[in-house]
Amino acid sequence: MSNMLIKMKVNGTEREVLVEPEDRLLDVLRDDFGFKSPKEGCGTGDCGLCTVLMDGKPVLSCVTPAFQARDREIVTLEGLNDDPLMKNIEASFRDHHAAQCGFCTPAMEIMGYDLLKAKSKPTKEEVKEAISGTLCRCTGYYDIVDAIYDAGGSE
Amino acid sequence: MAVSVENYITELQKKAERGELLYIGQSLKRIDDLEKALGSPIYTNDLIPRNTLYAKLVLSKHPHAWIRSIKVSGAAAHPGVRAVLTYMDVPGINESAAIVPDRPLFAHEKVRSTGDIVAAIVAEKEIRAMEARDLVEVEYDPIKPVFDPIEAMGADAPKIHESGNVAKHMRVAKGNIDAGFNEADVIVENTYKTQFQDAVPMETETAFVVPHDDRLLIIGSMQSPHNTQASVAKVLGWPLERVEVIQAVTGGAFGPKSDETPGDVASIAALGALKTGKPVLMSMDRRESMIAHTKRHPSIIKHRTGVKSDGRLTASRVEIYLNGGAYASLGVMVIIRATFHANGPYEIPNVLNDGYKVYTNDTYAGSFRGFGAPQAIFAAESQMDEIARKLNIDPLDLRLMNMLRPGKRTSTGQLMDDSCGLPECVDAVVRSSDYRKKVAEYSTQSGRVRRGIGMAILHHGNSLGPENNDYAYVYLNVDKHGIIHLGTALTEYGSGAVSGIAQIAASVTGIPLEHFVIDRPDTDKHKESGATVASRVTVIGGNAAKNAAIKLKERVISFAASLLDSNPEKIKLADGYAFSTDNPEKTITWNEIAKRSFKAGVSLDVVGYYIAPKCIWDPDTGVGSPYNQYTFGAAVAEVEVDVETGELKILNFHVAYDVGKVINPAQAIGQIYGGSVQGIGYAVMEELIHVDGRVANPNLKDYYIPTSMDIPDKFIPILIEKPGSMGFHGAKVIAEPPIVLPGPAIRNAILNATGMEINGLPITSEKISMNYAQHE
Repeated sequence: MSNMLIKMKVNGTEREVLVEPEDRLLDVLRDDFGFKSPKEGCGTGDCGLCTVLMDGKPVLSCVTPAFQARDREIVTLEGLNDDPLMKNIEASFRDHHAAQCGFCTPAMEIMGYDLLKAKSKPTKEEVKEAISGTLCRCTGYYDIVDAIYDAGGSE
Repeated sequence: MAVSVENYITELQKKAERGELLYIGQSLKRIDDLEKALGSPIYTNDLIPRNTLYAKLVLSKHPHAWIRSIKVSGAAAHPGVRAVLTYMDVPGINESAAIVPDRPLFAHEKVRSTGDIVAAIVAEKEIRAMEARDLVEVEYDPIKPVFDPIEAMGADAPKIHESGNVAKHMRVAKGNIDAGFNEADVIVENTYKTQFQDAVPMETETAFVVPHDDRLLIIGSMQSPHNTQASVAKVLGWPLERVEVIQAVTGGAFGPKSDETPGDVASIAALGALKTGKPVLMSMDRRESMIAHTKRHPSIIKHRTGVKSDGRLTASRVEIYLNGGAYASLGVMVIIRATFHANGPYEIPNVLNDGYKVYTNDTYAGSFRGFGAPQAIFAAESQMDEIARKLNIDPLDLRLMNMLRPGKRTSTGQLMDDSCGLPECVDAVVRSSDYRKKVAEYSTQSGRVRRGIGMAILHHGNSLGPENNDYAYVYLNVDKHGIIHLGTALTEYGSGAVSGIAQIAASVTGIPLEHFVIDRPDTDKHKESGATVASRVTVIGGNAAKNAAIKLKERVISFAASLLDSNPEKIKLADGYAFSTDNPEKTITWNEIAKRSFKAGVSLDVVGYYIAPKCIWDPDTGVGSPYNQYTFGAAVAEVEVDVETGELKILNFHVAYDVGKVINPAQAIGQIYGGSVQGIGYAVMEELIHVDGRVANPNLKDYYIPTSMDIPDKFIPILIEKPGSMGFHGAKVIAEPPIVLPGPAIRNAILNATGMEINGLPITSEKISMNYAQHE
C-alpha cells in the first residue's frame, strides 16, 4: 500500500489530502473535508445518492477512487447552495414537498442542476431521464420531477 | 402582510364562525424541509467524528446448523481490530426479540437462517473490520432445513424452534361457513402467491454509541427510540435509564426500522463501545441490511368463495400461510392484520379465515408498510376478478353488489357507518379512468400488443387496533422567543406526519406553523408513545397534539387576558395574535406574549396525552370491532402488454382514498405517490430471491426498485373526506394503504388485456411471456 498526496479543488477551495489506493472519493469528501451531502445508499454505484460533480460532470463518488480526483474540481451540494440556479431548485423542492426522508435530495438536486445547466426548459420526460439513475424510495418521483421541471421554467 | 392586521383578524374570525379550520387542509411547507433541501449534515452517519470505531457483522453461512465452535483469535489479531464480539460478550440477556423471545442477538448453539448474526468485528477502519470477518472461524454441523411454510407445518418437518414451526395462528369466523357454501350456486377456488419484498430505505440501519460516565448515548436511524433503548438495556443487563437514545433524522424506514434490526445495530455498537471504551458506529451496508433486516413475508393464500349466480357472495374460506423465515419478529402482528383483511372490503355472511405465521429457514420477515394487507388484498382482489370471470359479470358490478358501504358489516361483524367512503372512492376512480367504456373496449383484443384496465379496492383498519394499546404524548414547550418546541417520541422518517401534527397544534392554538420546531425524539426527554408504525402519527399523535394545544391555548389566553386587561372568556387567538373582543383594535403578538410570559415567570409548557378507545373483539373468532375506524381506497390501472416479449407498461393509474379529513393535502398525496410506486415495484419487479435460504440478490444491482422511468406517465390521486370517529376532525391514516392496491389492480388489468390469470407476484415480463407461451 502506498499513500499518495493529491491535490483537488473542492467547492472552490484547493485541498490536499493523503489517500490510499483503496480510498473512495465519497469518504474523502465526507470524512476528510466534511461535506456530508453525498450519501452512501448502496456502496456499489447503483443508487446514485453519492453523486457529485467532477469537472462539471456527475460522477458516483462511492465507486470513484479518491486518487482519480487528483487535480480535478469537485463540487458537492454544499458548494452550490449560493448558486442562483441551485437556489431555485431548492426552493422548488420545498414548494413541491419533493423531500420526504431527504436522503436522496442532494443527489436529485445535483442531477436537476446538471440538466438545467444544459437545458433550461426541459420536458418532464427529459427530467425523468436525467434522474433515472438516482433512486428515491419515498416520493414515487412525481414531486421531484415537478420540482426540477418548475425550477427550469423560472430561469 | 398585505392586509391590515385588523382586516386579517376579521377574516379569520369569519372563518372560525363558518366552522372552517385554521391551517388545516392546506399544503403548508413541512417544518424540516430547509435542512433537507440544503443537504445539511443531519443523518446519523453525518454526525460521527473522524476517529471513531466501526463495527461489521459476521453472518451465518448456513440456513440451519448447529454451531460446533466459534474461533475469533485470528480475527482479533488482524491489524486495526479492537474487539470481536460473540454471544460470550453479552453481559445481560442474549436476545434481540420484539415480542416472542425466539431470537438471540448473537447466534448461540444454533443458526436458523443466513441472516443470523454470529459475531461482530470492531475495528479502526471499516475496511479492516470487513477483512477480519473472514478470519472468524465457525464450525457448523448442518441440519436439514425447510423453506416452504406449508411443508414446515407438517409433522415430519425439521423443527426450527422447540415450540414448533407455527409462530402464530389467527382465526376469523363469522356465520356458518358450511351453510354458506351450501347456499352458493358457484364455488371458486384459487391459490395466490406473493414474494419477499425488501423495504430498501435509502439510508440503511445505523447506530452510533458513545459511552460516557456510567451511561450510553445512542444516536441512530430508527422508528422507535424506546424499543431500541429496551433492546440495548436487556442485552447489557442495565436499567433503562442508563441508556439514552436519540433518533437522528432518518432516511426512510417503511417498517424494518420498527422491528428488531435497530435494536441489533445499537446493541452491537453498545457492546463494542463498552469493550473498547470508545464510541462505535454500527452502520449496515446495503448487503447486511438486505440479508439481516426484516422483509415482507412471502405468502401462499388459498381462497374458496361461494357465490350466487347473480354475484351475491355467500361464503369465503381463506387460508393464509406467511413464510416468516426463522423468527417471529413483529410478524405475529402482521398475521393478525392479514387475517382480518383477508376477505377484502366486502360484506360476506359466512366467513372462515385461518392465518398462520410459519417459521422456515429463510431470513426472517416482519414489519413492512402495509403489514400483511398487501398479500391479503392481492389475493382477495384477484379472487374477485376470477369470480366475475366465472359468472361472466363485470368485476366492477360484482364489487358494487358486495362491497362495504354504510349499513354493511365486515367479516368480523363490524357495522359500517357514514364514515365508510368506499362507494365514493370507487365512483371517483371509475369516472376518472373512464372504466366502463374501456373495460368493454379492451376485452376483445387479439393482437400482440394489448391494452387492459383493472381495479382493486380496500379497507384498512386504522392504527394499532388489535395489536396493542394505542397512545401518545406530545409536549409543547415555549421559549422566550416564541418558538414552540414540539417534542414526542413518535418519529419522523419521511412522511412529514410530525410536521402534520404540529399543523394540528397550530390550528387549535391559532399560532402559525412557522413558530413551531420539532425536537429530536429522545428517551431522556419524551415518554414512550408506542412505536411509530401503523401510520398512526396523524391520528394518535394528532390527538395528543390537539390535547396539548388545548392546554397551551388555555394558558396563553389566561396570560394574554392579564396583558390586555380583559377576561379570559373574551380573548381570541388567531394567526399569531391575541385580542379581546371588547377591544379588537388592541392586539398583542405571539412573540410578545412569549417574551412577557418568560419575564413574568409564567410557564406556558404543556404535555398532551391521548389513548385510543379500546378495540373489542373476540380473540377466538375475531368477531367484534378490531379497529376504531377504517381508511378506504380504490384504484384503477390501465396497462399495455406485449404478450410475446412480456413487456408491460402501466399507462395510467387512478386512485382515490377516503382519508377522513385532510390535514396537509400535499403530504397526503406524497404518501399516495410514494406508497403506490413502492406497490408498483412489488407488483411488477421486486423480489428478494432466496435460494436454499441464501439471499441471491442482496444489492441494488440485482434487486430492482422502481426508477423514475418505471412510473406511470399519468397518475391521478383523489382525496375523499368521510370523517372517522377517532382522528382530528375525522382524520384517518394514509401512509400504508397506497402500497396495497397496485398489485391486484395491475394483475386484473393484465387479465382484462390478455385473459391470462397470473396469480403470483411479481408479474415480471418473463412471467407474462411464459404464461402466454403456455396459454396459447
